[in-house]
Amino acid sequence: MSAVAEYFRNIRNAVATTVAGMRITLRYWVKEPAITVEYPDRLGAGKTVEDIVADRYRGFLKARLDACIGCLQCMRACPINCIRIVVEKQQDVRMLSRFDVNQAKCMHCGLCVEVCPTSAIVFTKRFEGACYDIRDLRIRHVMTPVPVAKLQKQEKP
Amino acid sequence: MYSAANTLYGILKDQLGAAGMPDAAIVVAAYAVPCAVVLGITSMIAGMLTYLERKISADIQNRVGPNRVGPWGLLQFPADGIKLLLKEDIIPDAADKKLFKLAPYLVYSSTVLASLVIPFGGSFVVADLNIGLIFIIVVSSLLVVGFLMSGWASNNKWALLGGIRSAAQIISYEIPTALTLLTVVLISGTFSMQEIVMAQGPWPWHWFVFHNPFTVVAFIIFFISSLAEMNRTPFDFPEAESELVSGYNVEYSGMRFALFFAAEFSSIFITASLAAAVFLGGGNIGRDPYASGIGWQLVMVGVFFAKAIPLCLVTIWVRWTLPRLRIDQMMSMCWKYFIPVSFACLVLTAAWMLAFDGNGIFWRMPKP
Repeated sequence: MSAVAEYFRNIRNAVATTVAGMRITLRYWVKEPAITVEYPDRLGAGKTVEDIVADRYRGFLKARLDACIGCLQCMRACPINCIRIVVEKQQDVRMLSRFDVNQAKCMHCGLCVEVCPTSAIVFTKRFEGACYDIRDLRIRHVMTPVPVAKLQKQEKP
Repeated sequence: MYSAANTLYGILKDQLGAAGMPDAAIVVAAYAVPCAVVLGITSMIAGMLTYLERKISADIQNRVGPNRVGPWGLLQFPADGIKLLLKEDIIPDAADKKLFKLAPYLVYSSTVLASLVIPFGGSFVVADLNIGLIFIIVVSSLLVVGFLMSGWASNNKWALLGGIRSAAQIISYEIPTALTLLTVVLISGTFSMQEIVMAQGPWPWHWFVFHNPFTVVAFIIFFISSLAEMNRTPFDFPEAESELVSGYNVEYSGMRFALFFAAEFSSIFITASLAAAVFLGGGNIGRDPYASGIGWQLVMVGVFFAKAIPLCLVTIWVRWTLPRLRIDQMMSMCWKYFIPVSFACLVLTAAWMLAFDGNGIFWRMPKP
């Protein structure tokens, strides 16, 4: 007798579990909206790529030349030597003549950003680095030499 | 007198027979044209079903689905078809070349052959055979030959396993499918698809599915076992992506691969239209299709598709809900549950017919 009972219990369980599952998928089918972010071109009205990136995202490095004092600490801190800075003296003024960041090599460790005393090198939210030539990723931040920034003396309290 | 081919034959005979066309040529033309039309419609719907499958699965999984090609991605399936047409046609070195080339056509044709006897509403049926239902059952069993052939000819262990599994599965599930269809034959007393449709009525209580409580069960068993017959989840053992890579069609590429998929999706539509015609009243709107004008006949076609397409959607919905069974569960489900229950339905329907003089709960036996 128990075998017969089990037979019918099996049928009932099969029907019940199928119905339960079908109800869940029906709810998702009809009600739940898609949560996909359609990345490159359909981000929603007025949204740009930078809006979908989280704050403090480690994207491309940016050099703020008005703050750089030419201390070369970031260049030394970089474990893979992807930053190259040249500081020259022209008529007793220290000029920043080269500030290259090789984004192809950069591993976004953030050591240069941490070590910079004036926050002259910072991360941006830019992450789209696809290009046809890897040399295009060696980004020059200084086109014409500029004088390095002067540290403002802070009043001692 | 009942089919589109016969009507066309009559027209052609009047037009061309006087001009001295041989009779054989007229017969061939009268059957070739409706066949081509039905093939076109079936393939078109199969294509739309691939799109719907992707779109519905996306909806169920909170995704977007195809939305780039054309408005709402509607042109995705022509794009896919063109892509597959242009692909290189690879035949493995170790394959049995002749069988390998033949198999997809066998699978596709055995699927689409069934659409010849399906009444699409009104008088739109290519050939209203008096053994229509048996024809469908026989022809859909031919599928096994194609699957086994592709599995064997690929000379690949996954493909062979898939072919063997599909043979076991389709042969097993033929039995409950045929038995549940027989319950309807008991009621209607004919195998002709068109007459089965005409024996039903426009309203749900006229349909054979609600003839008596056992036909309801028979309809459910028919639907589930036809899922197994067309290798859909939860019975997709022949392709079982997670176990057999992709089953019998692993080695296929390009257009031959596309044919397998066209066959799969056409069989969804054909099974749904079979269920709609046999159990759900087909395109019956309570008028005699041969006595009504073309307008009413088109309404019947609309009614037919309004019943068949939701069943296709249910098939897709089931696929994205239920996981694949284990192979022993699949077999025990067929032999221990479906076959006894469908036999019981058959016998009990026969007893019901005997007890109530052929009348259903609401359905009445037509007066002779």
